Amino acid sequence: MMLGMVLQYWCFSLYPSENSEVPNARFQAAGAIGDAAIREWGMLTNENRKSLILFCLHYVMEHASAADAYVQLKVSAVAAQLVKRGWFDFIEAEKIGILIEVKKAILGLHGSDVQSAGISFLESLVSEFSPGTSTAMGLPKDYHEQCHSSMELNYLKEFYCWAKSAALNVADKIVSCYANISEEKVCSRALRFMFQVLNWNFKSSPSALDNSSSKSNSGGHMLWLLNFYAIVRQKHSSDMLWFDSPLAVSARQLIVQLCSLTGTIFPSGILLYGHQGMQYRTVSVFRGWLGMHCSTFRPVTGGPRTGMPSDRYVLPVPGDDGEMQIKHLTQILSAVIEWVEPPNIISGALRSGRSESEMIDGFHALLSMATLTSTMLFDNLLRSLRPFGTIHLLATLTCEVVKTYVIKNDDEQTWSSEALDIMLEIWTVILGRSGNDMKISAEGISSASNLFNTIVESHLKAAAESAFEDDSEADYFHVSVSRRDETLYAYALIARAAVETTVPFLTRLFSERFALLSQVWTNNERMDPTQTLEELYWLLLITGHVLTDSGEGETVLVPEAIQDGFSGVTEELQHPVIVLSWSIISFAKQSLDPKMRNAYFSPRLMEAVIWFLARWVDTYLMPIDAAKGQLGISGHDEGLQQHPQSSKKVLLSFSGQHSQGEIILDTIIRISMTTLTSYPGENELQALTCWKLLVVLVRRRHVCIHLVALESWRDLARAFANERTLFSLNARLQRSLAETLVCAASSFKDLETSNQYVRDLMGPMTAYLVDISSRNDLKAVAQQADAIYMVSCLLERLRGASRATQPRTQKSIFEMGCAVMNSLLTLLELYKNQSTVVYLILKFVVDFVEGEVAFLSAKETSILVNFCLQLLRIYSSHNIGKISLSLSTSLQSEAQTEKYKDLRALLQLLTNICSKDLVDFSSFSNEAESTDIAEVIYVGLHIVTPLISLELLKYPKLSCDYFALISHLLEVYPEKVAQLNKEAFDHIVRTLDFGVCHQDVDIVDKCLRAVNALASYHYKEKIAGKEGLGAKAMSSEESNSEFQQSILSYFLRLLIQLLLYQDFRMELAGSAADALLPLVLCEQDLYQRLVQEILEKQSNPAIKTRLASAFNALTSTNQLSSSLDRNNRFRFRKNLQVFLIEVSGFMRII
Amino acid sequence: MSDEEHHFDSKADAGASKTYPQQAGTIRKNGYIVIKGRACKVVEVSTSKTGKHGHAKCHFVGIDIFNNKKLEDIVPSSHNCDVPHVTRTDYQLIDISEDGFLSLLTENGNTKDDLKLPTDETLLAQRISVSVSVDVK
Repeated sequence: MMLGMVLQYWCFSLYPSENSEVPNARFQAAGAIGDAAIREWGMLTNENRKSLILFCLHYVMEHASAADAYVQLKVSAVAAQLVKRGWFDFIEAEKIGILIEVKKAILGLHGSDVQSAGISFLESLVSEFSPGTSTAMGLPKDYHEQCHSSMELNYLKEFYCWAKSAALNVADKIVSCYANISEEKVCSRALRFMFQVLNWNFKSSPSALDNSSSKSNSGGHMLWLLNFYAIVRQKHSSDMLWFDSPLAVSARQLIVQLCSLTGTIFPSGILLYGHQGMQYRTVSVFRGWLGMHCSTFRPVTGGPRTGMPSDRYVLPVPGDDGEMQIKHLTQILSAVIEWVEPPNIISGALRSGRSESEMIDGFHALLSMATLTSTMLFDNLLRSLRPFGTIHLLATLTCEVVKTYVIKNDDEQTWSSEALDIMLEIWTVILGRSGNDMKISAEGISSASNLFNTIVESHLKAAAESAFEDDSEADYFHVSVSRRDETLYAYALIARAAVETTVPFLTRLFSERFALLSQVWTNNERMDPTQTLEELYWLLLITGHVLTDSGEGETVLVPEAIQDGFSGVTEELQHPVIVLSWSIISFAKQSLDPKMRNAYFSPRLMEAVIWFLARWVDTYLMPIDAAKGQLGISGHDEGLQQHPQSSKKVLLSFSGQHSQGEIILDTIIRISMTTLTSYPGENELQALTCWKLLVVLVRRRHVCIHLVALESWRDLARAFANERTLFSLNARLQRSLAETLVCAASSFKDLETSNQYVRDLMGPMTAYLVDISSRNDLKAVAQQADAIYMVSCLLERLRGASRATQPRTQKSIFEMGCAVMNSLLTLLELYKNQSTVVYLILKFVVDFVEGEVAFLSAKETSILVNFCLQLLRIYSSHNIGKISLSLSTSLQSEAQTEKYKDLRALLQLLTNICSKDLVDFSSFSNEAESTDIAEVIYVGLHIVTPLISLELLKYPKLSCDYFALISHLLEVYPEKVAQLNKEAFDHIVRTLDFGVCHQDVDIVDKCLRAVNALASYHYKEKIAGKEGLGAKAMSSEESNSEFQQSILSYFLRLLIQLLLYQDFRMELAGSAADALLPLVLCEQDLYQRLVQEILEKQSNPAIKTRLASAFNALTSTNQLSSSLDRNNRFRFRKNLQVFLIEVSGFMRII
Repeated sequence: MSDEEHHFDSKADAGASKTYPQQAGTIRKNGYIVIKGRACKVVEVSTSKTGKHGHAKCHFVGIDIFNNKKLEDIVPSSHNCDVPHVTRTDYQLIDISEDGFLSLLTENGNTKDDLKLPTDETLLAQRISVSVSVDVK
């Protein structure tokens, strides 16, 4: 009955498919056929299935020349899907029967339209069989993987050969210009398909290769392809549009792809490089396909990021096989070079409208080659064809691209930026290597130097021209800055390849501009300096990049090229880097003169100065190497390499601790003081000063020692503590300033001096705050805007100071906090309506607790904890009722964001307080005095939980903090949580339920940890004969005890559901195992019942037995016992890992 | 509640100042500012420069806190802006009289009767009157 209906259904849908006039209807019908057939696959006989596939195929072939190609594509996609669905149902002969039809079509027996239809069917088939692009069929993952490897081992090569012969077939006609459009289409389709096959994700292991190389006789088709493209290109040289035609595009694509394939001759068949521990994928299928006997492909782990998938394979380090690879690459290069040479003529043609696609593809090919070869080899590739090396060619090309790039015509000149990106990527690849891989010939160095000159000159020209434009980048400021930095970094690499010439060149350009300004200044000429300022701005940026690395998160060192260069220089004043540094520092020093400053040091120029100084200080000022070097002098390895060592020593010591380091430091502090006071309202500039420059100054302790001794630093501290001027800074900057100033305290030798320094610095702030909060007319004054502003600034400063807490200064910071505790409570009460102030108070307490909590003695802890309790009480008394007063959406969303920020602060506060029980550095611990931290947490939870809604948990940061707190709490104080009132407890359980099903791995992990803690607590209590979680339920109604029990069983059910049906994220396996074990132990009976249920639901007997044995192994192997000790947990983790790997193969449905 | 009431004749006032000066660069989003004599809540701040080497200017978009009208202003970031003293007080609502005046309970136990319901038919006004009439019944 069923079968009949299904067949009828087909007929119905086939009917419009053949006859309907509306293509869209045919398209829909094809989709319906596919869906229905896959859904009812089990119902069909093999005969039905085969005829359906053949029907689709015939349909495609018959309608090959029809319009509405999308219908044909859909039908062939459906056919491909069905073939895959039946892949293991058909016997080999049946499959061949189907494929033979395709083969006939492709070999051109039925004309060229059918030919391309056949190829497009293969395309659909191959993409259906590769896991990334396959359609979901409701089958286990195993099935898809088996299809993938079966295709790879048995058919892929065959298909490739068909496509190749199809291409060869029509190529002659195309070359002799007799081909019609459809024949060209066949060719481009075939080439595209070959490209697709080369992109296949090969998996087969070396042991599987053996015999498949028997048919390796198709030699030389790469050469054929290159020639073919060259000839056709010649024919169409006058046709500007040809370069974008499908044939040209797919041929070039294939060539670029071939360029990145590589291999070696393996006479013995199997030979792998055991190089760098990478996993090799040996693909015998390829043996001989490419006209060379290559068979090893190595995936690149982190290749360059181009849009092209061309960089998936990398050449193994050249060895015996080097010859063959070099020959291969040279062959391609000889063809590709036509696309990009001569550079000036090409770029001229592009400017006059020729399509850039060919040149860009050429660049991609060069990029692949650069990735595959060492720098030296890359350079030599071209030498057999040209009198110069590849690097020289690259330099000339880049020159052209840069020249075009800087003339920023807004009318769609996007190719130059794309081309520049690729070019710079190539440079980064060949120059970013270290050691032997990056040796460059003298010719290469001089080309790099020339290139850098061109770059700088064209950019300076562009800078001068753009000097008067309005600065409209504000919106994309940070994006454009990071992009600009990337470009400049690549430029800097080029410069460093030829330091000997480029650094003096920069010095010359800089001094010229500096001299120009001074000349104008002394002669009192009336001249607008804007252009020169912009040039100086750009020069400062590029110089900063050349001389220093950004070193984010790392210890910054002087770049190797600069350390090792200048080998002949022994005099400090002759070292080009030192000369350049001095000229910039003395330029920056000019900004201290108010008149000079007003005339020349615009905020923008000053930004560059500050940025440069920050990087320079980090790298060159009192470097660590120099300190080490001084120790090393008494050592033994002095005599080695006298020359390079001495220039390096000169470079590293000129601004060292014992030479001019201190003077430079003094200058820099004065300059930063100037930017903070003399550029009112220039936020960008001041932010750079506070966040970059000053932070760098206090980063290293041996610099701090000099810093705090300087009069200028004391001036800065004094201004901060006692003067009003710095209050006009942005409040956040004041925070950072406070942090920096307090940080410096760590450098004092004795403890008391450090603390005194902090007291002097922060004393005035606390006094001020106490003073405000104890005024009689406080109520009247407090709400005035200036009072609020003042209080906010003070709070930010206190917060900054407490963020800088270190063991040395902990004492004075704690005093500072204690001094303002009462005032803070008063202020919190007073400013209950000013959410910003409330937030600042909370944030200060959060940072204060975080910094201090680990050091406090019992007595101090109780002070702190009591304070936090009071704070929480006041907060809750004023805020809980305030949740949502109105339905007006804008008000509500505003209230939510405020709440959200407050809540995060509260959560962080609780988490920080908790950490006292984990990390405790205090010297005395006296049990009698110690306060119950859990008590605070208890109160805190009662305040916080009602405010957390599931809505709010959608904010990622908030939910992260929340679950961190909950999991931590449950792990540390499960008994406290068990004592919570029913409402709060239920709320926590509900949020856990929400969190376990969350997308974010971190959150799920935290929730699982919480569930684990909850269940473990219950289990341990029960073992000990207590009530566990049930104890709480006993006090209330009886039904509650049921509910308590069912919480654990609920989670057990949920977790098993997740593991089996939804979530196969292996990174969660560990924490899932930890949570599952105590749950299973608590609810043994339920677990057995669940397993039984799941097994019974399984209809497929094979799967049923596999599942049963997997479940069995989960709980009975590895000597699992019923305890929760570490060993047992570890065993269970292993078991679950095995279980998941086993089960995911057949339970995961795609 | 005429509009006149909310105008600030900055600094000309003889009595206690209703505003105070603050540097434009330090005024942030969600703060307050006087634009064209009206007290506004700042909803957007952006900075720009006149020419690359000029000084920064702040562009403020503010919403009048009384009538929700949008106002804009451009000020050099080193200059001072007038910042209004804005006080927010919560009262408990006791009753709404026939003529639309509210009866509110102040903190010291007196009532404040000089405020009228918003005349425009905002949702909030409707809800207040509805909920009060329900309460009264």
